[in-house]
Amino acid sequence: MKILVCVKYVPDPDHVVFHASENGRIVIGEMSEFRMNRFDEFAVEEALRIREGKGDVSIDVLTIGPARSRDVLRRAMGMGADSGVHLETPVDGYISPMTKAAWIAGYANGKGYSLILTGAMSEDMMNAQVGPMVAAFLGLPCATQVIQTRLPSVQGSSSGAVLPDVCPDIYVEREIEGGSREMMTIDLPAVLAVQTGINEPRYPSLSNLLRANKQEIEIIAAASPEGEASGETDAMVEMVMPEKNRAGMHLNGSPSEKAEQLIAILREKAFIS
Amino acid sequence: MTEKCNIAVIASHAEGRILPETMDLAAFAKRLQNGRPGTVEVLVLGEDIEQIAEEIAIQAGLDVRAVFCSGLAAYSFDAYLALILKTLAGKGFSYICAPQNSQGQEYAPALAALLKAGCISGVNGLFFEGGTVFFQKDVFGGKLKANMDSCAETTVLTVQPGIFRPEGGSPVSPGRVTREEYESVSGKIHPSGIQKAPADAAGIVEAKVIVAAGRGIGNVENMPLVHRLAEIFPKSAVAGTRIVCDRGWLPYSRQVGVTGATVAPALYIACGISGASQHVAGMRGAKFVVSINKDPQAAMFNESDVCVVEDIETFIPLLLEIFRHQQNVNAVPSAPGNEKSGG
Ligand SMILES: Cc1cc2nc3c(=O)[nH]c(=O)nc-3n(C[C@H](O)[C@H](O)[C@H](O)COP(=O)(O)OP(=O)(O)OC[C@H]3O[C@@H](n4cnc5c(N)ncnc54)[C@H](O)[C@@H]3O)c2cc1C
Ligand SMILES: Nc1ncnc2c1ncn2[C@@H]1O[C@H](COP(=O)(O)O)[C@@H](O)[C@H]1O
Repeated sequence: MKILVCVKYVPDPDHVVFHASENGRIVIGEMSEFRMNRFDEFAVEEALRIREGKGDVSIDVLTIGPARSRDVLRRAMGMGADSGVHLETPVDGYISPMTKAAWIAGYANGKGYSLILTGAMSEDMMNAQVGPMVAAFLGLPCATQVIQTRLPSVQGSSSGAVLPDVCPDIYVEREIEGGSREMMTIDLPAVLAVQTGINEPRYPSLSNLLRANKQEIEIIAAASPEGEASGETDAMVEMVMPEKNRAGMHLNGSPSEKAEQLIAILREKAFIS
Repeated sequence: MTEKCNIAVIASHAEGRILPETMDLAAFAKRLQNGRPGTVEVLVLGEDIEQIAEEIAIQAGLDVRAVFCSGLAAYSFDAYLALILKTLAGKGFSYICAPQNSQGQEYAPALAALLKAGCISGVNGLFFEGGTVFFQKDVFGGKLKANMDSCAETTVLTVQPGIFRPEGGSPVSPGRVTREEYESVSGKIHPSGIQKAPADAAGIVEAKVIVAAGRGIGNVENMPLVHRLAEIFPKSAVAGTRIVCDRGWLPYSRQVGVTGATVAPALYIACGISGASQHVAGMRGAKFVVSINKDPQAAMFNESDVCVVEDIETFIPLLLEIFRHQQNVNAVPSAPGNEKSGG
């Protein structure tokens, strides 16, 4: 069984620097640090767990982005993925989920993946679109906000069961409003967009990282000769600072002064006596 | 702009009830049309939807297309996708609006891909500039907003619930309901029911004061800080963000947000919470919000009445110490030299 996991390299929210560019637009500064999209760590982990439960599973990880994005493939391989695919874009910049999904579907088409996993959402652009779009392009069923998966187990076998090579379907629970869960069985192949909390992502192991450093990553130029990017239908025009929805009074002074002011406010509002 | 602007809204319902985001969508669509010629209609999909369709027509004052499909008892990715395509494809809609809830965020991007449409998700603002409409959405956990523009013939939008609220009062005239029927759609997804979230054992829905922990708490060893802060308030409870629950620092029953509890306490103290829309959706009803975060640009500050830019690891102990000290001073019968100045 083959699994493809899509992983994105995103600015770490704790170490991202925003600058105003010449035209006044906000851009991501050079000093920002990047890492794997948090949601995608859970997707990689889920693939690893499926492999541990079933055996005979190969896991490919795929990323789209400029050269430096390759780091995220090494990390996923460090966690245990078998091989990496880099759909390399010449420059950094916003690419719509539609274009990315078309590229991913184009790559995956005909390669016999039983499962394509994505994260529920990218932390930077927060689109939550790529998974369902890949499914649409490939004509596959899709579930998002996936919080549990289980491959059918072989009747009567003990733990460590070896499953038939071709699994017909997968049991999935997806999270809906308020934390309730929709339960379902989905015919394979399928696309699943994985929610955080489905598992506990492991750290890359040193031996896997060493292996990953030696292993070759398949690099494919992502920009199509026909100038596919010109087919973009929606585009991010600019990033701006959000507005305040409440008073947003900032307390000033030393930490103790702030604490005293806060206590005074809480007293005045009769939350404490 | 004289171009025709036909808008379709896809209703969201569950267990025979119209979800409030459906009415938000109707309000959003009216604003989006902005006086341009064209129609706004609502699509309702399902098996037993007669009443829902009638109710939407009355409440929203919009025409409703009721798409009956035998066997479609609840939302399903395959069936929604197939039915929406059948009823809307090629009909010249400029915009198709779906809610950014667990339903819309799943089928809408797929719908856009199949329609070769534009797709903008999580819309929480819209404005017109020089005849063009721009859509706003959160990026970077709400720290920034992105202004998005679509040049496609059709654009699929998913709209954040709770932002565009319908205006009070029923519209003057109800919309018309038309009916279409389809055979059951056989899909590749086989639903086996819904597992309800466990009841709110932690009592966070009833609490008057909620002290909420975010990832900024740093590690599980710092959780007692949040509990001790909560203890100074009567009728208080400790809650947290999804990340905090994912890490096991709190049980999931204490998660606030779209996939957790919705709370509306008198006081909400957010400790090390970035303020992602999925979290804010669960606490927007709080009367008074205090946020402590070391990042002055945290989105949570935009949702707060009082903002404290500090490190919680040092600030909460300090706050507790000063509070205790003031209490002790107050408790001692005022003797000369023991009087407290100010208050
Ligand atoms: C479909 C879906 C549903 C979701 N449902 C929910 C939900 O129901 N509830 C929910 O909460 N989330 C939900 N999320 C996740 C949500 O998008 C955010 O990822 C999450 O709310 C962020 O949690 P956080 O604020 O604790 O962490 P972060 O976003 O990582 O923020 C941590 C904050 O702590 C601050 N900080 C760090 N260290 C310190 C310090 N020492 N002192 C002070 N401040 C510090 C940082 O500046 C930052 O602002 C959902 C996501 C999806 C895709
Ligand atoms: N540049 C990318 N490279 C690889 N996968 C991506 C990329 N962008 C998005 N994805 C995948 O799609 C998911 C949802 O992203 P988005 O639709 O951008 O919110 C992510 O969690 C990833 O799994």
